[in-house]
Amino acid sequence: MSIDIKKIAKLSMLKIEDEKIEKFEKDMEAIIDMVDSLPSIDGELNLDPDNVMALRKDFAVQNKYTRNELLQNAPEVQAGCLVVPKTVE
Amino acid sequence: MKLYEKTASELSEMLRRKKCSALEIYEDVSNRIKSVEDKVGAYITLSDETARKKAIEVDEALAKGEELHPLAGIPIGIKDNISTKGIRTSCASKMLENYIPPFNATVVEKINNADMVVTGKLNMDEFAMGSSTETSYMKKTRNPHDLDRVPGGSSGGSAAAVAAGEAILTLGSDTGGSIRQPAALCGVVGFKPTYGSVSRYGLIAFASSLDQIGPIGKSVKDIAMLQDIISGYDKMDATSKNMEYPKLTDNLTVNAKGLKIGILKEYFGEGVDDSVKESVYKVVKLFEENGAEIKEISIPSANFAMSTYYIISSAEASSNLARFDGVKYGYRAKEYDSLIDMYENTRSEGFGDEVKRRIMLGTFVLSSGFYDAYYKKAKIMQKRISSEFDNVFKDIDIIISPTVVSTAFKIGENIDNPVKMYYNDAFTVTANIGGLPAISLPCAKDEKNLPIGLQLIGKKFSEQTLLNAAYTYENLCGGFNVHSQIL
Repeated sequence: MSIDIKKIAKLSMLKIEDEKIEKFEKDMEAIIDMVDSLPSIDGELNLDPDNVMALRKDFAVQNKYTRNELLQNAPEVQAGCLVVPKTVE
Repeated sequence: MKLYEKTASELSEMLRRKKCSALEIYEDVSNRIKSVEDKVGAYITLSDETARKKAIEVDEALAKGEELHPLAGIPIGIKDNISTKGIRTSCASKMLENYIPPFNATVVEKINNADMVVTGKLNMDEFAMGSSTETSYMKKTRNPHDLDRVPGGSSGGSAAAVAAGEAILTLGSDTGGSIRQPAALCGVVGFKPTYGSVSRYGLIAFASSLDQIGPIGKSVKDIAMLQDIISGYDKMDATSKNMEYPKLTDNLTVNAKGLKIGILKEYFGEGVDDSVKESVYKVVKLFEENGAEIKEISIPSANFAMSTYYIISSAEASSNLARFDGVKYGYRAKEYDSLIDMYENTRSEGFGDEVKRRIMLGTFVLSSGFYDAYYKKAKIMQKRISSEFDNVFKDIDIIISPTVVSTAFKIGENIDNPVKMYYNDAFTVTANIGGLPAISLPCAKDEKNLPIGLQLIGKKFSEQTLLNAAYTYENLCGGFNVHSQIL
């Protein structure tokens, strides 16, 4: 199967350098060939009855972390807020 | 024998008999790190100051006669995808190169509560994607038994640290074999517990339905002791199983008589090195001579496990790694001219090629027009494989197979061939697909003196049966000698 790396990269929010596209395409095609070996079998997708995930109670968690703790890893902060590029034209 | 060469249970005993102090143990391990780390490269970050402080606290508590956990004062290294409050957790990625978690993973809380001494954070494949630790952005880790070879992966640092004497115990994570494959290649013991038995809260997600944290160590008893600390229900992990977790260590027994062992015939076929096959068959014979019942079994869909695994894990990875966008934490590109451009440049500069490959594979199998052909098919196959396992476990207690098709390969040998690299996980992915517990044990050395691993797989939540079988083998073979002889 031929793979359009540029299209998949765009969907993945990635840019692939021009000189790497060929190698990515070749590798991806080999991987797709590998996973293509799956036969079609009948079956339905249900949740695992042995491991039903319990929903969390809907209540607010308060004061677990300080604002500073949560912002310490942020790339850019101003006046206690995250800075991002303009999102609305 | 140096302190760093001893097992955790031996050191625990010595501490209580006042044959040594926790600080002496830590200093011996720390000196070992200083002397061999340049060659092995197991650690990304060392936490010397906090480790020393903890060791002193343990000594003070013991001097006062306080009752501490048996593993109190034992040095442990932690894989760098498990969150440690105040200690950098990089996932071996440029994306998280400077990330310092504001919270501890549940397993880290438990280790701290047991007063274990955290030595530092261990190298791994970037975001746990790989089988050789070569995709790490941070550094190369070398196999302590042959420095030209890989330690396996993705928990390569965790396995290498134990084999090199740079930690007494370590924690790894296993999504498709990432604890067991490096344990096999480094000649140590590595255990992937049943999915749901160890909380994943604070484990930076790769494929959430398959990821599981587990222990790596030098003996089955050490593994059981650490598993007893980290297992248990956690409300912070929605997939955590709410049930009783009886202490495994208290019930470890040596008994091969009547143990029903299935030989998984699909895993002794073509492509497996003769030395690996012969070594595992020898173990089967040893079990048989000591009263175990041996039966050949088949999981007809086992050969589809690899494809199933790469579809499901990549699909989940593409979703899980969408959070790395350069906004709230982690790397942000320096140059961009719009929001989308910032996302794309950040991700393109922050992720390595293997991570990009898995994200794109996942995006592809979930994309419009391909979902039914790949993802849905894989999920249905996962169910079939699970039910085939359920069937064979009606007649047997455990399954035996090689852990990996061969021994450690040379650094650089497979890095340009992803499909060949992926086949390293051929025998380990099935346990993740089925959510089953599985352990890798050292069973022999090949003609190059490289370790060979065997794998035992149990049914869900049969940890005690599985570890008892492993403990039985350890006793029958006279114990494991996990340490590198060349460092």
